[in-house]
Amino acid sequence: MIRPDEVKMSAEETGKWGMVIDQDICTGCQACVAACAMENNISFVGEVDAGYGRSMHWIRIERFWEGEYPEVKMTSNQPMLCQQCGHANCEPVCPAFATVHSQAEQLNLQIYNRCVGTRYCANNCPYQVRSFNWRDYARPEPLSNQLNPDVTVRRRGVMEKCTFCIQRIHKAQDKAKSEGREVMDGEFTTACAQACPANAIVFGRVDDPESLVSQLARRSHGVKHLEELGTLPNVTYFKGG
Amino acid sequence: MSQQFSRRDFLKLAGVGAATTAILTGCGPASRYVKREPYMQMPEYNYNGQSTYYATTCRECAAGCGLIVRTMQGRALKTEGNANNPLNLGKTCARGQATLQGLYNPNRVQGPIKHGRGERLYDTFSNPYNDDIKNAPSNMSWDEATQAVADALKNNKPDEIAFLMGMAPDHLFDLVTDLANATGINAPVRFGALPMFEARATLTKAAGNLFGEARLPFFDVGGAQVVLSFGANFLETWISPVSYTRGFAGLREAQSKQRGKFIQLEARMSSTAAKADEWIPLRPGTEALVALAIGRLASELKGGPMPRAFASVDPLDAASRSGVKLATLQYIAGFFAGANGALAIPGGSALGQSNGLTVAEAVLALNAVADNFGKPGGVYFSPFAPNQTTYQSPASAKEMQDFIQKMADGKFKVLFVHGVNPVFELPASLGFKEALKGVGQVISFAIFPDETATESDYVFPDHHGLESWWYQRVATGSNQPVLSGAQPVVSPYYDTRATVDVLIAAAQLAGGAFATALPFKDEVEFLQSKIAPLMAETDGLFSAPEINTFMAYFQQYGGWWKASDGRGVPGTADVLSRNLDAAEAEFAGEGEFFLFPFVSPALAEAGANKPWLQELPDSTTTVMWNSWVETARELGLEDDDVVKIVSDAGELEVPVYRYPAIRPDTIAIPFGQGHTAYGRYAEKRGANPADLLIPHFNEAGDLAFAGVKVKIEKTGRKQPLSRLESIMGVYGVGLGEEQ
Repeated sequence: MIRPDEVKMSAEETGKWGMVIDQDICTGCQACVAACAMENNISFVGEVDAGYGRSMHWIRIERFWEGEYPEVKMTSNQPMLCQQCGHANCEPVCPAFATVHSQAEQLNLQIYNRCVGTRYCANNCPYQVRSFNWRDYARPEPLSNQLNPDVTVRRRGVMEKCTFCIQRIHKAQDKAKSEGREVMDGEFTTACAQACPANAIVFGRVDDPESLVSQLARRSHGVKHLEELGTLPNVTYFKGG
Repeated sequence: MSQQFSRRDFLKLAGVGAATTAILTGCGPASRYVKREPYMQMPEYNYNGQSTYYATTCRECAAGCGLIVRTMQGRALKTEGNANNPLNLGKTCARGQATLQGLYNPNRVQGPIKHGRGERLYDTFSNPYNDDIKNAPSNMSWDEATQAVADALKNNKPDEIAFLMGMAPDHLFDLVTDLANATGINAPVRFGALPMFEARATLTKAAGNLFGEARLPFFDVGGAQVVLSFGANFLETWISPVSYTRGFAGLREAQSKQRGKFIQLEARMSSTAAKADEWIPLRPGTEALVALAIGRLASELKGGPMPRAFASVDPLDAASRSGVKLATLQYIAGFFAGANGALAIPGGSALGQSNGLTVAEAVLALNAVADNFGKPGGVYFSPFAPNQTTYQSPASAKEMQDFIQKMADGKFKVLFVHGVNPVFELPASLGFKEALKGVGQVISFAIFPDETATESDYVFPDHHGLESWWYQRVATGSNQPVLSGAQPVVSPYYDTRATVDVLIAAAQLAGGAFATALPFKDEVEFLQSKIAPLMAETDGLFSAPEINTFMAYFQQYGGWWKASDGRGVPGTADVLSRNLDAAEAEFAGEGEFFLFPFVSPALAEAGANKPWLQELPDSTTTVMWNSWVETARELGLEDDDVVKIVSDAGELEVPVYRYPAIRPDTIAIPFGQGHTAYGRYAEKRGANPADLLIPHFNEAGDLAFAGVKVKIEKTGRKQPLSRLESIMGVYGVGLGEEQ
């Protein structure tokens, strides 16, 4: 088993993006969920399909209960999204190479036009963050006016998941390149982090030790979920309380 | 055509023709300063594939957060918070994010309509995701509509004309107020379900009684060390949730101090209470007792003479009646006794009781013990907005009852409704829908086919917020006085017209005092006349020597705000010397359960027609697309059992969600569903707990919505709730069984 602290970042891993989520201040307000859906052209599936667990949330707020009334407590809200693993379980099982690791951004990509819908990747994801288009979900006119032209609209039979708003990453990189500079920390952020009223989500370069996200990730109370599986997640959580 | 006519000439002419058409269609009064260009003459800032961003203001609730909207080729693509606006500093809530699903909603009112009361404004349907649900077509022109409004103004006595408006104190409210002052028509009444469930009138009245000034207090959560909230759900919908969430983050993670503590007292764990370190489920109706007991214990710890406010309470008795242990009361009192940075907030269900005013005064008085008035982490008055001098109170439920009585008595011949949906938002038992029969003519300016528009004679749709000009005074949430400004980010999608433009044109047609009251060419001219005085202010974000430049900045920044702290310091002379009655609240109705209605954070009063808000899981139960009733585990009910809830005012049927964090004597139902109109995503979905509420008020005139007792009857039916969490349930029921 690979222990995360034994893995040294290799040279080609520059350009690595990561996230820190502070569960202590996350209020579970769902602003990130709505922001993600609006940015990434995510379909709504309706009451029946949602009841079957087919809703397409790329990010969801988990919460658990501890204890019995009246000593009951809700655990800190836990926004769960693709952890953009360094050693991702979803990647090696895809027969169509639709779930590949990007060398350029160090992200797990989902290539929609390669995906044949085997759903092996979702089956293998320990974080359960992949959602599958079971149907061509209706988007009655004129709702399609709000579709983001930077993001592919997916159709039936295709797997999808959080991309760390790769369209925003590329836009910022293109802009920086045209101005002959590096992308600055905080110059752009993902839709979820931008909306979060509590500022519980921070996004940035984790290979830059000076970036805010790196400084936060070094705090002692940061944890990575299921890291014992050796997935090398790129999202660090601060537990609540 | 005898002249030589080259292909080049033809193309030129065709181009001019196309350009002219495009410009003309873009030249409605509302888009006076929005220049539409054909793609062949794109302005420099609007390249193909490049976005244009506009600053504007969110209209999903009345908080007034600033937005930046990304547009491309005339379509709005994404809303983000305006980082400049001191209220929300670049942040938005889920409702603000979903604004575009209102703008591009498949069920909007698409033009002026005259119809019979109760006639539907869109097809009935079986499948809400169907494309073929037709909207009622417009059946009159805007000239006819304007004439109808003019006739309504002209042909009735001024005191027979009434305006009922939404919560936002905006330019339309100012226009109608000016009209009322000049012509003697009834002053506009503002109402909304959110202030009703916040019991906002109670909070401001308590502030008036204690501090001598009936204004909205501001609680500096971010600067406090210990926050004690009596039912104030300030992380969900309470008054200004985005701003208070920022305060909460400050409470928790401030670098210069310890992690702040948060304690919430309420009978059902809300998603605000879920973030508290301690949730204390007190017996509903004992909030005043508990607050006074804490005050007494804290004063004893502090020493000195016992303040008169806390003299009448016996802490031991309070503990036994409220179900809160005496040790817990003493523990909380400890925070208020010394300089611990303690802050007490009254709100929501604690004030929606028959003795809500006493609760509010008792809780505010705790802050006097902690001596935090006007100090960081304490209680302030919210600043008045730049063009505001007095607190503009929305109508309480009691005032709405009086208004409805006047309607029923035939005192109003014309009722104009804008920005509010009283048929849905007011408790059915107040009888708004029935009272409409007493009103000769009802004219709605609704943008969506809601219940009130359905019950109107005319619907003259206003533009959507993202197609509109306006400004809005920010009621609370920022240290600075803020006037949020809005501009159209897209041109109107349908044949809608700004209500201000309709009223200005109608006033000109009506002539006489109406015409002289509104001597404006259009909405923008009126707006400019209202913000022009700000140019003389020195303390602002920007200034300009003349109005066009000032207006350009106003649009660019999304409003105007002062640089200085505008918060007021409450006067404290009388706070602890009042007699506060340590009695329990009285409950209306028969039944063994306390009813605890709460506002659904995502849907609230007007979110139900946005499909993605429906699909957001509730943050405590994870239920989507429906209503539910939360019951304690001990009641012998199973998840998804449909039960009938019966109060003296009405009944409704709703599936059970067995909630781990609710008192066994209390049941809770979210407010936000149960629409009988309002578009395909809202209609035929869930139930409206306002149907159960009994006209029963507190001393401030707020509805005692949390002061109702109800019965539960089993129906024997089941209806599965769609939830994000495993359907195996929170207690592990069904584990190992086939799903």
